[in-house]
Amino acid sequence: MAGALTLPVPTTGARRSPAPGNRRWLLLRAGGVVFVLWAAATITFFALRLIPGDPAEAILGGPGSQAGPEALEQVRREYGLDQPLLVQYLTYLGRLATGDLGQSYSLHKPVATAIGEQFGATLALALCSLVLAWALACALAAWSVRGGRVAWAIGSGLELVAAAVPHFWLATVLILLFSLTLGILPPVSVPGPLGIVLPALTMAIPLAGFLGQVMRESLLTAMESPFVTTARARGESEVRIFWRHTLRHAAIPAVGLSGWAFGSLISGAVVVESVFARQGLGRSLLSAVQLRDVTLVTGIVLVVALAYTVMTLVTDLADRAIDPRGRAVTE
Amino acid sequence: MPSRRFSRPRAAAVVAAAALFLAACSSGGGTSGEATGEPVSGGTLTYASGDAEPSCLDPHVGGNYPQALIATQYLESLVSLDDDGEVIPWLATEWTESNDGLTWEFSLRDDVTFTDGTPFDAEAVAANVAHVQDPATASSTGYLALAKIKDVVAVDDHTVRLELSAPDSALLESLSQVWVAMESPKALERSQEDNCAAPVGTGPFVVDQWERQDSVTLVRNDDYSSPPADAEGAGLPYLDSIVWRFIPDSASRYAALQSGEAHVIDNAQPDTIRSAESDDSIEELDAPRPGAANRIELNSGKAPFDDERVREAFIRAVNVDDGIQSLFFGTAERSYSPLSSVEPLGLSLPDLFTVDTDAAADLLDEAGWDERDAEGYRVKDGKRLTLDFPVSTNQSIPAEQSLFEQIQADAKTAGFEVNLHPLDLSSWYGALAQNDYNLVSAPYTKVGPDVLRILYHSASIEPAPSGYFANLAQVDDAELDELLIQASSTSDAGERADLYERAQRIILEGHYILPLYDQQNHFLRSSTVHGLRAMPTVSTPTFAGAWLAP
Repeated sequence: MAGALTLPVPTTGARRSPAPGNRRWLLLRAGGVVFVLWAAATITFFALRLIPGDPAEAILGGPGSQAGPEALEQVRREYGLDQPLLVQYLTYLGRLATGDLGQSYSLHKPVATAIGEQFGATLALALCSLVLAWALACALAAWSVRGGRVAWAIGSGLELVAAAVPHFWLATVLILLFSLTLGILPPVSVPGPLGIVLPALTMAIPLAGFLGQVMRESLLTAMESPFVTTARARGESEVRIFWRHTLRHAAIPAVGLSGWAFGSLISGAVVVESVFARQGLGRSLLSAVQLRDVTLVTGIVLVVALAYTVMTLVTDLADRAIDPRGRAVTE
Repeated sequence: MPSRRFSRPRAAAVVAAAALFLAACSSGGGTSGEATGEPVSGGTLTYASGDAEPSCLDPHVGGNYPQALIATQYLESLVSLDDDGEVIPWLATEWTESNDGLTWEFSLRDDVTFTDGTPFDAEAVAANVAHVQDPATASSTGYLALAKIKDVVAVDDHTVRLELSAPDSALLESLSQVWVAMESPKALERSQEDNCAAPVGTGPFVVDQWERQDSVTLVRNDDYSSPPADAEGAGLPYLDSIVWRFIPDSASRYAALQSGEAHVIDNAQPDTIRSAESDDSIEELDAPRPGAANRIELNSGKAPFDDERVREAFIRAVNVDDGIQSLFFGTAERSYSPLSSVEPLGLSLPDLFTVDTDAAADLLDEAGWDERDAEGYRVKDGKRLTLDFPVSTNQSIPAEQSLFEQIQADAKTAGFEVNLHPLDLSSWYGALAQNDYNLVSAPYTKVGPDVLRILYHSASIEPAPSGYFANLAQVDDAELDELLIQASSTSDAGERADLYERAQRIILEGHYILPLYDQQNHFLRSSTVHGLRAMPTVSTPTFAGAWLAP
């Protein structure tokens, strides 16, 4: 996390080593991460185990297979399900503390391996969606800024609609349009870059609408700012003013939200990965919840929580890079 | 002595959960015209399954229908069934039963090798039975199928003797199921994780690679030589490989078929089947599953259904036919039998299910439910006539869940308050284990009428919470028990048929169940796919003879 302070900045000026106050801030922040992870694990564990139901049935084949009493006993013993809940929890926590995520009983393999197999696909999808969402949001903003009052209203309306559409519905519409009518993109995930287009678009559109709405407000303020008037006076074109000055201003609050957006993309992956039959953690999470695979669910939640905290940190850094005022404070 | 434990395999249907109807506005696919004629070798076929991805590709472990679907492509059994339900040779060429029914001797094919090079022989059969019966395997379906096998003796290399603890007229039917198919004994010695990832059999295809949550790749077994006795031709499979994908969303799955990404899909929903009818490039394969019909069980073990009059009133009050018509678009046919229509010994008694709301009202009055409260529900001793109906959303397709809602509305008119509880699988098992239900629908797949013993013998009313109990109607009838035990021990075909008919009569006339339709099992295929057929055993499609028109 020291990276926050040693980020290479384009401006000149001496960078300083962390002050004692900063070190304390770092410790607090690290403590916060540990607390978030512990809370995530604890809440997930109890939420899953307190729902009525029998994980032993799920372990023995799930839907459609009916297990005999001997087999159920064996499974309960093997996975410690016959222990009191608190004992199960403490055992689990103890193993977590040593970095052992445990064994997934629904997949017959270690949780860490299972997550490792799926994490890349979800990360790729989330990052593609995030980039695509930013591209869409900026493009729409650029167009509507130049197009006058009507374009502004249209752009604003589009963002509102985009932000409100549910993933499930959007996915269906996109499949109908691009796969069945135009026949240019596969309706389900296929190997290669073509397969990621529709899933990423499905997640990017609502997010773009959201980011666009947040940007629009500050875009308006920025356009009326003195520095824009000055730029105009220097004879800079409107396009240049938009990309160089106003967008930069408008993007700050939206960048701050990208950490949150990344988290929401991971949860969106639950729906999108299922609809497009893509590999990924979202799909693992869905089936793990259905099968009461507590170790796998908790493992995934922990990894997502970790990714989320890292992403928040990255957006903090990005914030500083965009906004020189933030940089001034740290220097 | 007949075993008192409930034994024998069972596997119930799973049906994919999601279904959003996607209008078919384009025929897609790009192929037209029936390509007929000589089979063509080569090509890769993509199969898209709506079922949950199995957690283990070895159907000995656990044992459910999604495992059966894929394992049919690489595992084979000792015997199979033909289209008339007769047992026919497969890896076993012939068999004899001793007079007391306790000893069975099977002659095995001597020219079959597992795809890892291990020969198929009597020791292999013994190793497979041991694997299924080993508690560490955690087999549920296969374990019950082989429950009466006490000992396996290799008489010589290619003769094996099974010693039973009790006579079992369903033994051959049980052995035909893919949940107890033969795997390489050498492969079984690996860790469970390894064996789950790539089981080794004698089938037409071999598990090549399993990319979790994406697909399993199966490649042709170039040394294949052991089709069941009813297979056409004995040659090699035509397809080079099969990509077995998991596409849980019903609309996406159908879109994949239309756009040519998939050649065959399963779990086709009624609306999809209907819209595929107008598409020349798509054909349907309807393969109802064996065993029990889908039915609503009336829990006779507790009030108010411990009173037969109340059970009959409920059955007479609800109109199931209209609901099936409108919700299934003619893709499902009403059943009046406890058994699937593919079971030759099924008995249908339609007259017992004629809707008669007046008779229902009289029966309820007679049973003491003769007052109504402010909301119109019937009341007795200040208690409302309430029925709890836990619904497993993993096992009931959306059309079926809508049907339950229509039944709820009909029942309300008659004065029943039906509370539908949509639950995920674990919670649903939990509700059943705690006897928190009056109505329930639980699919059950098994080859042969012995499924009746599992579902309706009083021994299957297992005290909770030791495990799943199959007798959800909680039928406890000494005469029925006797009939079912006799039927499972007799080897005389005529006597067996007669005993099962009498048993079904008791179940139907006792108003324990409301049959709905066969366990739906619809597949859609591109018209470029030929030679696809469903196994007459558990109705899983086999690609052994399938080929793709160029």
